[in-house]
Order: sequence, then structure tokens, then C-alpha cells
Amino acid sequence: MTIALRMIRDRHRSTGGWLVGVVALVLFTIALYPSVKGQVEVEELMRNLPDAFRGMIGYDAAVPLTSPPGYLHARMFSTLAPLLFVVFGIGAGAQAIGGLEESGRLEPLLANPVTRSRVAGERCLAAVVLLVALVVVFAGATFGLAAAFDALAGVRLSGLLGACAAAWALALLHLALAYAVGAATGRRGPAVAAAAAVAVGGYLVYSLLALVEALAPLRYLTPWYWYLQRNMLVHGVPAGAVVAPVALSVLLFVAGWALFLRRDLR
Amino acid sequence: MSGPAIATSGLTKRFGSLTAVDSLDLVVRRGEVFGYLGPNGAGKTTTIRLLLDFIRPTSGRAEVLGGSGADPAIRRQVGYLPASLDVDPRWCARDLLSFYGELRGGRDLAWERALLERFDLDPARPVGQLSSGNRRKVGIVQAVAHRPPLLVLDEPTSGLDPLLQHEFQLLVRDLVADGATVFLSSHVLPEVEALADRVAILRRGVLVALATVDELRRSARTRIDLRLAEPPAAADLAAFAGLAEVSATDATIHLVVEGPVDPVLKAAARLTVQAIATHDADLEDVFLTYYQGETSGRGESSGRGDGAGRGEETGR
Repeated sequence: MTIALRMIRDRHRSTGGWLVGVVALVLFTIALYPSVKGQVEVEELMRNLPDAFRGMIGYDAAVPLTSPPGYLHARMFSTLAPLLFVVFGIGAGAQAIGGLEESGRLEPLLANPVTRSRVAGERCLAAVVLLVALVVVFAGATFGLAAAFDALAGVRLSGLLGACAAAWALALLHLALAYAVGAATGRRGPAVAAAAAVAVGGYLVYSLLALVEALAPLRYLTPWYWYLQRNMLVHGVPAGAVVAPVALSVLLFVAGWALFLRRDLR
Repeated sequence: MSGPAIATSGLTKRFGSLTAVDSLDLVVRRGEVFGYLGPNGAGKTTTIRLLLDFIRPTSGRAEVLGGSGADPAIRRQVGYLPASLDVDPRWCARDLLSFYGELRGGRDLAWERALLERFDLDPARPVGQLSSGNRRKVGIVQAVAHRPPLLVLDEPTSGLDPLLQHEFQLLVRDLVADGATVFLSSHVLPEVEALADRVAILRRGVLVALATVDELRRSARTRIDLRLAEPPAAADLAAFAGLAEVSATDATIHLVVEGPVDPVLKAAARLTVQAIATHDADLEDVFLTYYQGETSGRGESSGRGDGAGRGEETGR
């Protein structure tokens, strides 16, 4: 585990920044909740918004926006949290091999008594662990601060944990894609570009398909639908929201690993 | 410990239409310092990357210490100094040595300390803050920290001042005395000449010469100046016809000889020679000849003209 630990240590400073940032964002978001709590107008406003917009912010008619689960879902779980996790995941996944190789730092490492397979495996593991750390801190901060600001009423703990797991899985999928492209090309740019394109494209498709009823079955093609299809804090987590991205991620990891073993380094 | 340290047969690497290394047959014996010379872009680094399995051959094969460069057990016995040591700039020498030491499965702390002192390195300074010369030194220290039986060095002394180059040479000699084999890649001759037993010269991926440093010297041109009592007559100069170059200024005849200098002595016997100055066999010339592509059989010399042209200054 020397290589994985080294990668985690090398990224501990930037990861620390992310952790502080995530906690701060959770704090700002939840600290605003008491001022939203009693506002009936917000609910009025929501009803008058176009469907597409309501879909984008994860509005659910059965869960008032001014209730804790409605608020947390709209302000964090349907927007900020997955976005942050996905961005972090893409960064970590692209760096694992593509970034390391592009900066010339892979060859000195591989001159040591280690196999490529081990380097690829350990750095993949390190990237995943870093993402887990980010999500765990987010989950802890959300739970703790929501309790402190009286924003837990109506939130199922299993739903909260499940939503965090699903957000992690969504980010993991993008991490795995960035990892695989980086492992296949030995470059960071294409890895970030491919994963970011899938993230943005997937989100666009999700929002657009929410408008057109006839195309509804196609929604299953975008990972954002798996994640955003319902308010998990209230309704629980559909198994597919975790299982599908994780399964796809495993496929991507294996593909990236296999391509990396076969090719020339840059 | 038998068999060659490095052996390649028909080793070829093509990148698209470019043949970076072309049917390379090379044997590096255990315990020798093998100079691997060639201009930039000749395929030296490509060869090293093939040896260490960073890239795979298009055809042919390479063996390192009797095994594959991909095998961790083999890599444990190799110390590699890349042309530029790219590591996380926030690492200091200590981080690098402890990380690599852990991967290599054991450290010799006393030896590491001695190396750091020898090259006057601060183990706590981040590599990113070091000058290129100091970074080079960190590269050297990490390459030899585990006392590897085989050292693969890519342009080891580029960026080092003469004093450190000397220190580096002493270090390599120490390691060789302890039985290490050294594969020394360089595009400049003096770096290799000082250490190498044998030299291979590579040009555009093709091995154009393989000889001992002595053999190269022997085949080199020797410049000889004869100072006479009085300016030579035309007939005197004619006696030297057949040498590579003949000219005269005042009472001095300047000669350039390829191979044995015997004809010079025979022809000079008739003259009143007051002093003979021979200039050191100009290895650089031989070397440049190969670089420029005149591969007219020189350097593959096998023992012609024993000891000819070993430059000694005489008669002054």
C-alpha cells in the first residue's frame, strides 16, 4: 500500500482544502434553513416555475421546499453536493495515472521494484479512498449541522446515508472514466475532458428529457437520472442509484488498468 | 551472477514511420562500465526505456540481468538515473529516499547519509526548490541508494560542475570496484571517456561502432609537429606524402596521421629534428566522424597499430 499511501499524502493538502470547503458550504447552506423554514411564498413561487426548472432543482410536490428534506435536497443533494463530488472525482481519477504520467513522474516510480499493475491498482484505490473521505466528511457535516440547525425533521437517516452513497457512486463513475481515459492515454487533459463532457452532457440530457414526456424512457441513459429521480431523503435510495454506477465504474477501472498494462508509456 | 548484465538481440522500436532503435545487438558484461554514446535523438533514451519496460519493442528482445526489465525482482537490482528526475516538487530528498526505500524493501541509512554528505545535499529541501545541479545530485543519490548491481545512467553529469562530475566519477568507480555494472548513456564524449571500458556509438537508432576506448584512441588521428633546425625543403615534405595531412610553417612540419605513426619516424630520420610534439589522440574527432555519418570502417579497428598515437609530449 506504499504507493496508495504516498498518493494520499501527496494530495492531502489539496484534499484538506476540499474538506474545509465542503464543510463551509454545508454550514452556509444549512445555516440559511431557519430563515426559509416558515416561508410559504417559496412554495407558491415553486408551483409557478416551469417544469424543467423544477426538475433541475429537484423539486418534488410531495415534499415542500420549506421542509428539511425538501430544502436539503434542493439546495445540496440535487445540486451542490453531486457537482462538487464529481469535480473532485474527475480531478483525482485523471491524476491517478494520466496526470502522473504526463508530468513525467510515472517513470521514476516504475523504475522501482513495482509492477505496472500494482501502480495502477494502488493509485486507483487511493483516488477512490480520497473520494470516500470527501463524502464521509460531507455526510458527517450535513448530519451534525442539520441537527444543530433543526433541519433534520422528516429526513430519514437511512435516506441521508443512502443519498450520500448515491452521490459518491455518481462521482465514482466520473472518477473511473477519468481514470480509464488517463490510463489509456497517459494524459490528464483528455481524461478530464472526457469525464467532464459526460458529466455535463449527462446533466443536460437529464434536464432536457424532463421536458419531453415521450422520451422519458431514455432518461435511464443518464447517470444523473439514476441519482436525481427522487428525493432520497424522504423516499429512500433506489438500489440502481448505487449499484449501476459502481458496476460501471468497476468495468471502467478494469478497462483502464488493462490498457495501461499493454501500452507504451509516453 | 553469470551471463551478461544487459543483452539485446535484434531490438527494434518504431514510432510510426520513425525507427528509433534499429536491430540493436548489444551485450554489456557484468562489472564493466559501458558507454552508450550518440547525438541527441539517436535512440539512447529509447533503448533505456526499452530495457526498463517503459516501452515495448516492435521486435527483438532485451534482457536485463538475465530477466525482464518489467520484473520487480530485476528492477530491485537496477538503479536508474533518468535524464531529468521528475518527481513531486514538494518532495524533499528524504521523502524520495524513504518512499523508494520502502518500495525497494529495505534501506541502508548510513550509506544514504554518506551519499547526501558526499554530494552536500540538504535532505529536507523540497526538490522543486533545488537548482538543476542539485536536483541532478538527488537523482544520483536515489539511483545508488540501494547499491544496485546494475546502474543505468542517462546523461548523469549534465548540469554538474566539474568538481561534482569528479565526485560522481569517484562514486561510480567505487561502485564498480564493488562489482557493479554501469550502463552510461551520454551525448558528450568526456563524460564517457573518463569511466567507460567499452563504448557503443549509436546514430539514428543504428549501432555504428562498438570498441574499447583504447581501440577508439588507436584509430584516432594523431597530430604530430616536427620542429626542424631550418625550414624544410619541398623534397623533405614530399617524404611525408601518404599521411592524412602535411603542412609546414617556418621550421615546423605539421602532420596528421591515421593509425600507426611509423611512417613519420622513417621519413623524419633524414631530417634534423630538434623537437617532436605529439598531441593527444583526438577522440573527439573520431566521435564527430561517427556522428556525421562517415562510418568508413574506423573504430571497428581490431588491434592495428599497437599503442600508436598515445599522446605524450616529448622533446620540449
